[in-house]
Amino acid sequence: MLQKAKDGLMDIKLFRRVMNWGKAWSLWSVHLETGCCGPEDMARACARFDTERFGTLPFPTLRECDLIFVTGFVTKKMAKRLKIVYEQMPEPKYVIAIGHCAISGGLWWDSYSVVQGVDEIIPVDVYVPGCPPRPEAWIQGIRMLQEKIAKEGMRKK
Amino acid sequence: MSIMKLSIGPQHPISAHFRFLLDVDGDVVLKLEPDVGYTHRGIEKLAEKRTYLQNLPVIERVNSYCDSAGTMLGYLEVIEELMGLEVPERAKYLRVIAAELNRIASHLYAASLFSVATGLETMLMWPINDRELILDLLERLTGQRITYTYQTIGGVRFDMPDGFKEEALKRLDYLEKRTEDYYKMLLWNHTFHMRTKKVGILRPSDAIKLGVVGPNLRASGVKVDVRKDEPYEVYDRFDFSIPTGKNGDSYDRLEVRFKEVGQSINILRQALKDIPKGPIKKWVPPIVPKGEAYTRVEAARGEFGYHLIGDGSMKPYRLKISPPSFRNLIALPHLCQNIPLADVPIIYISLDLIPMDVDR
Repeated sequence: MLQKAKDGLMDIKLFRRVMNWGKAWSLWSVHLETGCCGPEDMARACARFDTERFGTLPFPTLRECDLIFVTGFVTKKMAKRLKIVYEQMPEPKYVIAIGHCAISGGLWWDSYSVVQGVDEIIPVDVYVPGCPPRPEAWIQGIRMLQEKIAKEGMRKK
Repeated sequence: MSIMKLSIGPQHPISAHFRFLLDVDGDVVLKLEPDVGYTHRGIEKLAEKRTYLQNLPVIERVNSYCDSAGTMLGYLEVIEELMGLEVPERAKYLRVIAAELNRIASHLYAASLFSVATGLETMLMWPINDRELILDLLERLTGQRITYTYQTIGGVRFDMPDGFKEEALKRLDYLEKRTEDYYKMLLWNHTFHMRTKKVGILRPSDAIKLGVVGPNLRASGVKVDVRKDEPYEVYDRFDFSIPTGKNGDSYDRLEVRFKEVGQSINILRQALKDIPKGPIKKWVPPIVPKGEAYTRVEAARGEFGYHLIGDGSMKPYRLKISPPSFRNLIALPHLCQNIPLADVPIIYISLDLIPMDVDR
């Protein structure tokens, strides 16, 4: 029995699976609103949609967070701050781009002050389209990110 | 003691997209300077590149945070004034219904933000949850939760669906009962009184001098409401009152918003009862004649002013937007002088500013 447990711990694949499970179900999101998907951010965090079921708790301190929701368009002035916030967060960290504006500029495709797609500044893991996306779509984005994390460090089948 | 410079935001639970530069002496804030521009998209310039119809979703996002229907109404008013257009009766009522539902949603959102700033987490959940009921109604009416593009030039896009009226009346009844619970939970709460009473007192003379608009001005005791003073659409047919505050402190600013929810329910009931049958949209040529027009409407956060210069083409020559949050922002440095640092979030949230329409 003891030998079996020891072998289990030494099994890097099992170890990684446990690590990934832990990472995927405690994605605390930093409070940084960049665009106008903000009210949906509030709606998905509150009682009706309640993303805390999936381990996503909005948290004020960025040093304890793992996830940024880029909510909507990012202006050039905000882009610098977004980068600072991303760099200050500890590893592992993930980014979900919410809305058309964050994905590709969206409605502001010809604006002089909006960054055309947030992936120009920070790496993005999951894109959620919509203007703004419904809270259900946010939840789907979180679930997709969890599936992605579960495959981290695993060999492809 | 030496004066320390402090910077709050934009990543901060209270300042949404703002950055505040504070001069602090110990715990006392001497001066506050708001750093705006984090959400500047250049809407006024973009509006010149697009046609009047293409502008609808762009203008809506001046304040798409909570109050898109109220924002859009002003843009349509100014175009229709320049064209000399008379909208069908049913469309006018539907516009008012959308705008008033949106006002309720916006005020509930403001209330929940306010309570989270004072540390009352339950009242964060309750109004947001009740706001979902209103958003469901709006979704049924317009097909979207937050950004509707429902009202269009010459009318509205969709008619009222079957069973909407009964459902709306049912939900409004519920919300009216629910407001009493809010009073018990938040407005008569001792902790809440201690945090908000006599904090950030805006005297009526100062409010008028600074040009503050909307519920913030009414909380100071000045009875100004565009819906009464200069009625647009069909507001002159409804019987409603303008709630005002006494002291002009943070508490009054929230209480006025709660009372306005009651008045909006009142208006909605009358509108749903009186709504006539008929067409909902009129065909309109895409060209707006040459000339200038200015209109103002009362959105949830205050008075929206639109100044349009048309040059006889399909695109506006110039569209100047005067949003309520920008005018209310001026009150923030005025109120944040010689106050404790802990009161800054309360005053900021009580003004109900939205950075979107400050920067445009």
